[in-house]
Amino acid sequence: MSAALRRPVARVALAVLAAVLLLAVLGGRLAPLDPLAQDTAHLLRGPGAGHPLGTDYLGRDVLSRLLAGTGPSVAAAAEAVGTALLLGVLPGLASVRFSAPLSWVALRAVDALMTLPFTLFAIAAVGVLGNGLHQAMLALGVLLAPLFFRVTRAAALGLDRAQYVEAAELMGAGRFTVLRTHVWRKVLPTVAVTTAHALATALLTVASLTFLGIGVQPPAPTWGGMLASDLGFLAQQPWAPAVPTALIMLTVGALNLLADALRDAEPAAPAPDPGPAAAAPDPLREPEEARDDHRVRV
Amino acid sequence: MSAALPVPAGRTAGWLLRRAARAPRSLGRVLASAVTVFLLSSVLTFGLGAVSDANPAAAVLGETATPADIVRLNHEFGLDRPLWAQFGSWLGHAVQGDLGRSWFTTLPVGDSIAAALPVDLSIAGLALLLAVLLGSAAGIAAALRPGSRLDRAVTALCTLLGTLPAFVVAIGLITLVSVQLQLLPSGGYVPLGQDPVQWLRFALLPALALSLDAAAGIARQLRTSLVGALRENWATGATMRGLSRRRVLFGHVLRNAAGPAVTVLGMSVPMLIGGAVVTERIFNLPGIAQLSLRAAEQHDVPVIQGTLLVTVAVVLVANLAVDAGLLALNPAARRGARRSAPAGAR
Amino acid sequence: MTTASVSDRPLSDRPAPGSPVLEVENLRVSVGRGAAEAVREVSFTVLAGQSVGLVGESGSGKTLTCRAVLGLPAPGVEAAADTLALAGTDLLGLDGRGWQRLRGTRLGAVFQDPGSFLNPSLTVGRQLAEPLRVHGGLSRPDARRRAVELLDSVGLRDPETVHDRYPHELSGGMLQRVLIAIAVSGDPALLVADEATTALDTVVQAEVLDLLARLREERGLGLLLVSHDLAVVADATDRLLVLYAGEVVEDGPTASVVAAPAHPYTEALLAVAGLGPGTRTRFPVIPGRPPAPATPAPGCRFAPRCAYATPDCTLAPIPLTTGPDGRKVRCLKGS
Repeated sequence: MSAALRRPVARVALAVLAAVLLLAVLGGRLAPLDPLAQDTAHLLRGPGAGHPLGTDYLGRDVLSRLLAGTGPSVAAAAEAVGTALLLGVLPGLASVRFSAPLSWVALRAVDALMTLPFTLFAIAAVGVLGNGLHQAMLALGVLLAPLFFRVTRAAALGLDRAQYVEAAELMGAGRFTVLRTHVWRKVLPTVAVTTAHALATALLTVASLTFLGIGVQPPAPTWGGMLASDLGFLAQQPWAPAVPTALIMLTVGALNLLADALRDAEPAAPAPDPGPAAAAPDPLREPEEARDDHRVRV
Repeated sequence: MSAALPVPAGRTAGWLLRRAARAPRSLGRVLASAVTVFLLSSVLTFGLGAVSDANPAAAVLGETATPADIVRLNHEFGLDRPLWAQFGSWLGHAVQGDLGRSWFTTLPVGDSIAAALPVDLSIAGLALLLAVLLGSAAGIAAALRPGSRLDRAVTALCTLLGTLPAFVVAIGLITLVSVQLQLLPSGGYVPLGQDPVQWLRFALLPALALSLDAAAGIARQLRTSLVGALRENWATGATMRGLSRRRVLFGHVLRNAAGPAVTVLGMSVPMLIGGAVVTERIFNLPGIAQLSLRAAEQHDVPVIQGTLLVTVAVVLVANLAVDAGLLALNPAARRGARRSAPAGAR
Repeated sequence: MTTASVSDRPLSDRPAPGSPVLEVENLRVSVGRGAAEAVREVSFTVLAGQSVGLVGESGSGKTLTCRAVLGLPAPGVEAAADTLALAGTDLLGLDGRGWQRLRGTRLGAVFQDPGSFLNPSLTVGRQLAEPLRVHGGLSRPDARRRAVELLDSVGLRDPETVHDRYPHELSGGMLQRVLIAIAVSGDPALLVADEATTALDTVVQAEVLDLLARLREERGLGLLLVSHDLAVVADATDRLLVLYAGEVVEDGPTASVVAAPAHPYTEALLAVAGLGPGTRTRFPVIPGRPPAPATPAPGCRFAPRCAYATPDCTLAPIPLTTGPDGRKVRCLKGS
């Protein structure tokens, strides 16, 4: 895994992510102006002196709003992925010991979760649990958990039958030791890849939710909220949506590149889940270029 | 918003793909799985309402609701019954098309959804059509000359489009087509049945915004499988029979290479529906996502549950259609049982 | 070229017995741009009703030769020749449409691993009927009737049933018969069989060879039989070309070549096949491996593996000389 991080692509991605993280932590303090301060004399200005990225329809400084909006977006995405990790990894490991019928039910439950579109489910969660980004992120975490469940289960299943694990058990290593030393080493890289992808997905979902005005109160700046307000003034400022979009895509792109670099460093992909109805592989059906486990359905 | 990940080539197959790649054995098995998934989803959907402290009185009367109001309205909506009884009657009615009544308007939820769903289905249908047309054209063009400039351009474009979320594409399209060129309206809707031409004017941009990602996925998948299939001996065999390049491609290679692309297409359906939420808002379409958003603001639990359940049903039906399509493309699976008695050589 | 009718082509349209159906003169094939030629100076003729064998180890250039004749060079492979003609049609500079018209009508081919040459998701009948409809303009029911006839004519029992089978439902021998039926469906002047019997078991192999011989007799087609196994070719051909490292090393009537091989490589091949005069005494393995085409030795390419090699063998290129009996050999031994 460390070898993967030394690759140039991974380095660039890490640098971008570190910068975004710094913005998220410092965020508002780096902002040159108050992100909420309205300047009615300078509405919808282009980039220029005093306002490096221009002003919005209320005369608020776009750069300051962008910086202040980074923190909540990143924190929300992290919250969702944290929930997903918690709900996905441990059950995934445990599921290796499930009986066949229980496995079948667990996999169908995972299918059921993966059938739900992220955004719609998050909206529903906000609707019944109350309007807040925490509620939405909890819901998103539940929907992202299957990704972790699947990759952990796949990695652990392959390992369960690996001879060196058996050998370790025969030599008297305890269950916990085996789990810690062998399973983690195998599972951790795939979990890292999935985490990067899930973070990217979560960031995009946060952007669409805040775009829809969910989870945040209007004056507070968010990436998605900025996009939504820019949309009303496309005639005056057709370039305006490009600013938050660029930051979103940069972050998401870096996460994806990092995930790819991490995966490329892996010797082999996790074994496909055999499942109860595994049929003989059909070369015709087997897609050569397959979509990823971690597809986004925001 | 739809798939926003640049999908890396040829590594771990996605679980959905893998499921389809396993070549469904029989429709019955696929159906059993779909029914189970639907039941589990309905539990989840119902559970969402059950864990909330939202109640019809609070939703309608807000802060002014008295405890008496709450008890009265809860009784009216059957919320004072045990949970399992509520779930049973909810699901029982739901499968018959009765999704209950809105707490807020007391209108049947089914009617509201029936009014909104055609918007999404017609636009998603157009988006699928565009995705298939654009994706196949690009994928076939790239596969016919692998390594050419065209091929590289298609690959690069697909990677870019696969990264852009639908709302970014939507905003870009509005900026370019509606604001700058003033060719198409930036929002609004006319039902297809009322005026197909007007419908197309309003539906084209949202459908295009939704379709580009799926088109990129199809193009990429089709290119890869076509390049692979064109190298197969049976493609050479078809050529040796004196068939034209076009006939070899459309009559033989495309048929066999289409499976993964069909799977990608099927996977696009939940993405189209997910992406529809934001595109509906951007293009101001009276679809199911707007309904769900309004319901969420009003804490109108029956409407929220209804929209979710219907969405799940649409996704599952789409998956079933894809499985059926794969089954039709794969005679080996369909006729495996008949293998036992081959005619012998003399 | 006239539109080929399928079943009822007038006999006059068929090449007269003994007239050339395939003429190859100085065929050269190079793999990769600027690379050394993997096939050099290959010349031969196949006459109507004649069977010509092309023998050599893998890497000898027999498949490249075959593919050049079929107009199916692999990507990056370039073929050139002084003459390349099929029953009067010049194949050099033939465009895609021209090849299309020839394939499935005047030119048929069968290959090793027949199952892989059939589309797995279409019935064999449909794949057999397709060229009949495309080239012969047959209607759907006519094409079906003709397809069943063809399946019957290649010795498949219960052709009606076979017609509706998918490739994976048939055995290897049956699949090869189906491919042969497809190859002869357009009444070809030339049938190319590239390792057509290689993966089949011995009994089926003999049956397929018999079938090819029968079709050749009945239809008067020329047969180019390509194999690594001299035992296969020896029984089934009139004339034999032995290829080594892209060159013809021996060329003559099969019977006399088998009876008295002039080239040490042919002798070794015969020994491997268990046919040659020295079979009992010689260990039936040819020592060493064929040279890589990229590094041609100046003289005889077989010299490093040859029991008779002398210093003269590696000095200069050895010409293909024609003996008094009309047999050709590329060796200094006899001269």
